Amino acid sequence: MIKIEKINIDEALRYMGYKKNINIDNISSLLNTCEKNLINSAKLRYCYKIFDIEKSSENIKILNTDLTLSGKSIYNHLEDCNKAVLMACTLSDNADRLISRLNITDMTSALITDAMASTMIEQLCNEAESVIRKELDIKNMTWRFSPGYGDLPISIQKSFIKTINADKQIGLTVTDSNILIPRKSVTAIIGVSDSPLPQKKRGCAICSMNKTCQYRKRGLHCGF
Amino acid sequence: MDFKKLLNKDYIILDGAMGTMLQSQGLKVGGIPELLGITEPDKIVNIHKSYIAAGADIIYANTFGANSYKLADCGYSVNEVISAGISNAKKACKDTNAFAALDIGPIGQLLEPTGTLKFEEAYEIFKEQIMAGKDADIIVFETMTDLYEVKAGVLAAKENSNKPIIVTMTFEENMRTFTGCSISSMALTLEGLGVDAIGVNCSLGPKELLPIIEELSKWTNLPIVIKPNAGLPDPVTNEYNVTPEEFAEYILAMNKYGIRIVGGCCGTTPDYIKTTAAALSDVKPAAEKKQIPAAICSPTLTVVINQPRIIGERINPTGKKLFKQALIDNNIDYILGQAIEQVQGGAEILDVNVGLPDIDEKEMMVKVLKAVQGVVDVPLQIDSTIPEVLEAALRVYNGKPLVNSVNGEDETMSKILPLVKKYGGAVLGLTLDKDGIPKEADKRFEIAKKIMNTALSYGIRKEDIYIDCLTLTASAEQEAVLETLNALERVKNELGLRTVLGVSNISFGLPNRELINRTFLSMALMKGLDLPIINPNVASMTGAVRAYRLLACHDKNSTEFIENYGNTTAEIKTTSSKDHTLEFAIEKGLKGDAKSITSKLLETMDAMEIINQIIIPALDKAGAEFEAGKIFLPQLILSAGVAQEAFEVLKANMAKNSDNSISKGKIVIATVKGDVHDIGKNIVKVLLENYGYDVIDLGKDVEYESVLNAVQENDCHLVGLSALMTTTLGSMADTIKLLRSNNCDCKIMVGGAVLTPEYAEKIDADYYSKDAKQSVDIAKEVLG
Repeated sequence: MIKIEKINIDEALRYMGYKKNINIDNISSLLNTCEKNLINSAKLRYCYKIFDIEKSSENIKILNTDLTLSGKSIYNHLEDCNKAVLMACTLSDNADRLISRLNITDMTSALITDAMASTMIEQLCNEAESVIRKELDIKNMTWRFSPGYGDLPISIQKSFIKTINADKQIGLTVTDSNILIPRKSVTAIIGVSDSPLPQKKRGCAICSMNKTCQYRKRGLHCGF
Repeated sequence: MDFKKLLNKDYIILDGAMGTMLQSQGLKVGGIPELLGITEPDKIVNIHKSYIAAGADIIYANTFGANSYKLADCGYSVNEVISAGISNAKKACKDTNAFAALDIGPIGQLLEPTGTLKFEEAYEIFKEQIMAGKDADIIVFETMTDLYEVKAGVLAAKENSNKPIIVTMTFEENMRTFTGCSISSMALTLEGLGVDAIGVNCSLGPKELLPIIEELSKWTNLPIVIKPNAGLPDPVTNEYNVTPEEFAEYILAMNKYGIRIVGGCCGTTPDYIKTTAAALSDVKPAAEKKQIPAAICSPTLTVVINQPRIIGERINPTGKKLFKQALIDNNIDYILGQAIEQVQGGAEILDVNVGLPDIDEKEMMVKVLKAVQGVVDVPLQIDSTIPEVLEAALRVYNGKPLVNSVNGEDETMSKILPLVKKYGGAVLGLTLDKDGIPKEADKRFEIAKKIMNTALSYGIRKEDIYIDCLTLTASAEQEAVLETLNALERVKNELGLRTVLGVSNISFGLPNRELINRTFLSMALMKGLDLPIINPNVASMTGAVRAYRLLACHDKNSTEFIENYGNTTAEIKTTSSKDHTLEFAIEKGLKGDAKSITSKLLETMDAMEIINQIIIPALDKAGAEFEAGKIFLPQLILSAGVAQEAFEVLKANMAKNSDNSISKGKIVIATVKGDVHDIGKNIVKVLLENYGYDVIDLGKDVEYESVLNAVQENDCHLVGLSALMTTTLGSMADTIKLLRSNNCDCKIMVGGAVLTPEYAEKIDADYYSKDAKQSVDIAKEVLG
């Protein structure tokens, strides 16, 4: 069981558009309350499976499953790997309900809690990643790559979830518009290799979508 | 199939895992295993046969995921896949005594309010499966985690077949499902809906399921089903750790809890079934009938009526101008605010009444129930006089509700009691009939008795019948007060029913109402009142109930009382409203002060002056600081929140004094269809409202037509649309297209993380709003 007892507040503040020199005295107690309530509400769950992969003509096949990962970005990501871990993490719908409730009673807390939950799910992913590394005794692995990064289509969510049974394992589902429900959830792919992996570059500069990306146009970043 | 007859057997043996058997034969992970019923029927028939040979009385057809959502794009219809599945199972059953079950698993999408799948859509998905499985002998729902989804399924099964129904849900070790459903809530709700057997399958091994079965046995007299995994899987090899012999042993250990129907889930094989069936042949089922507690529930919270419990009365438009206006304006958030406030005040059950002549009560009731259940956990009391409204409410309520109400009239009872029975609610009976409310306690007692006997004749459990002996106002009928209490006492002691009273009515027309109410409440509690209907926001009323529970020894060690009142000194405010102005409170985000300062200001200024001279300039200042990067978004919203409190005081004041509107114009806002990210939209709403605009908030995942209708019905000249996903930008474009093609005289502003000014222009929006602050600037430009 993974427990998170502290939320990375700096990161949450960054999500909310905080810049240095802003005085946050008048929300500091609110930050504490929101953190405490979120930690008490969220039910941390994760699941994963490891698969052999096969690279062919810019596609990655997840062997013994129906899942194929298409696009240049994921191909580059897994190029030097022979296996891939598919993982999913969620704060469960308790977090969603908490945020819905705050949306009615106190928008400031809703906004703060939403940002903290986004931070918390990343922290959960980090923790889950170390558990996976230990449990599978992995020596070399890539960073986490999620559907929707670069040109890996987000439409694979449904079959991703089915492949690792994430609906049954952790109660994760996906809507027709490929939104994960519960909302504060992440699916990700980690490449695994027997030999040391070269440091892979990430970021917009090397992304094949960098001319057309909607996030980039807004000065945002998909995570790639 | 005659399920009762089959139950003459001591134990009904189910089969073991289908998936495990298929995987051992090389099925790919993530494929659609149900299709094998068409492509490789022999494999499936052989697996069924091996389970029948192992002793299974019922085998589950290979139809678990055969629903329209999971089969989409697979090339086969639900009907084809299920027909093949059932026909394979039937083939295996031929010339044996075994029965074939239509096996139904979760749809794979989460239902509203957390998800986007509507209850009614879930019903249709299940209905299609039930119809396709018409040749099965029995219907099984298994591995369920969402009680709401189960309810949709069970209703679909009951209304479209007459087969026996078994439901098993999947619990974690904390005795909850993924969506938080408790064991008691499952049992109360499903037994109420009239299923034939309930239990637990999957997720854990038989050892871990033992405490779950023990808990379940306290809440049902239905046959209990148990279908555990073969222990827990190894995280790396995926192999299960319990042998068939151990499995059978653990099952035997559960026998004392009334298990009657036994099989295996993931990791089990015919060996497990055979060994377990053999072990059970040496024992007899535990036959003890238990007293099931009187209780109502939501999926996450069961309220046992074994001591006085507070019903909050505030969701009711009677005598409340703002509430009426909220209903007319479709302002669900206002009602949700009332719900949350009451729960925070101490309500344990909420009454929900949305009856108003000018609105569609049925539609509103459904909408409000769903929304309220989305934000609070307490169970609800559904309050309406119209049977159609009650039925619609009972359908969509998630859990076991209390129905308010029937009375002693035969016609009312004959309309409402069958609904209570069908949907498994509890019912509240009022001691009045066609002649009105009898003056004497004896006559009210007689009506209560009649209601009880009639309800029992419909098959409603005695514990599910509640009686309200009706409070009359002391100022008008002083002698009647004690009559009410005497009737209550007799109903409680002689009929053994639980009692309800609306308390607040007692003091109508008298000064110091709170004192009268609290005294009457204490008197009634002493006479045996179980469910006082009160305003829980009045601290002395909630306090009286809590004090009673302490003094009557329900609140053991005074735990609850101390928890609530143990450190009241901490609540003393550190600042006093005298110290600063409304401008200062808004700027600094000092909540709690705004209301008192505003009330004070109203003594010397009118509402419009306060808005224009104080609130808006203060908000403008905060907005400018936000744009200059001196404060960031949460601080801007905090200021807006303070302004909102001031607005509430102003609105209440306007409602009291005149019908003058403080509105600067109407704006429709929505998160577009397919998208569920609504926080940005809600922030925009708060800011717009604080600038005096009337915001018609359509919520999230909003149909294109709903936006159009809202714009046309409200003659609205500004629409705000929000989308956060690249995948839902298309719905934004389509919504705009629809508005344009209907020549709506409105400007459209759009916003959301993935939008750009260029894209906004491309999809024909008039304005791109980069943040909430800018949406106010746009509103000022368009509406003034």
